[in-house]
Amino acid sequence: MESRYARQLVHWGDENQEKVAAASVLVAGVGGLGATVSQLLARAGIGRLYLVDDGIVDWPDLNRQLLYGEADIGRPKLQLAAERLHAINSSTDIVLLEGRINDAFRVPDGLTAVADCLDNYQSRFLLDALTPDGVYLVHGGLQGDHGQVLTLLSGRSQRLADIFAGATQPEGNIPVTPDSVAIISGLMTNELFATLFGQPKLLDRCLVISLIDFHISFLQV
Amino acid sequence: MVEVQFFSLLRLLLKQDRISLPASKGETIMQLLQRMQEQLTTPFLHKLIDAEGGLHPGTIILVNRRNIHHLQGLQTPVNDQDVVAMFPPGAGG
Repeated sequence: MESRYARQLVHWGDENQEKVAAASVLVAGVGGLGATVSQLLARAGIGRLYLVDDGIVDWPDLNRQLLYGEADIGRPKLQLAAERLHAINSSTDIVLLEGRINDAFRVPDGLTAVADCLDNYQSRFLLDALTPDGVYLVHGGLQGDHGQVLTLLSGRSQRLADIFAGATQPEGNIPVTPDSVAIISGLMTNELFATLFGQPKLLDRCLVISLIDFHISFLQV
Repeated sequence: MVEVQFFSLLRLLLKQDRISLPASKGETIMQLLQRMQEQLTTPFLHKLIDAEGGLHPGTIILVNRRNIHHLQGLQTPVNDQDVVAMFPPGAGG
């Protein structure tokens, strides 16, 4: 019987697979971005996933949050995500962090990378500020047909709050579609693997994607 | 020359991803934006600046990678060889 990782091993090899298996990644937010990022990491055989989210599943989540379905309405995302991810790959150690990203939140020791899959600037800035020096943070965000992915190395890069200073949360619901969330999540995961392999492609370089005309560009930060 | 880069919705609005302008001694970001508005055929300042002359929160402006909020805001001086980037980031997830 072929290994469950056979198709990716022929692409990135045994040495990188060992890096994936040895990695601990904090996925902050298991909503639109985080439900897909965490799923892709689990499918790839990530060693340990820390998850944080205090939300419950609601109808407007179902267009893009790929771990949940109709029967999950009203249930906590965190527990559901753990169940679904364990069913996908029982070899991934899943650790649930209760609560939300605030001043009392403690980032676990021994992280390889942090995935910023949050949906508001205040929490994103705090997550970045709490990320220990030497740990990569991969940020993703989107709105309508536009999105961005950026990697910061804590302690060396500018802080997310400094780069995005003055950006405030838009009022009302932010437009997000199933396809745009899947694309940005996929790009974030690709970059997370690159950081695990020691070769981030977006360090201090923000990938800006416009799906409306398939344009990509890079913003140096 | 000063290079001004446009990202995302601003790139689409202006139908170009950058413009180079001759540097003007002592010019500020605000004056540079006004000069660009005169040169470009598409009005865009209303997307960036509110009625009181403040910067709308939806777009960040970086000068040589530094957010102007950490410099002198719209009064940040712009010099020859500077790179100015204007980017409305996506807030959702």
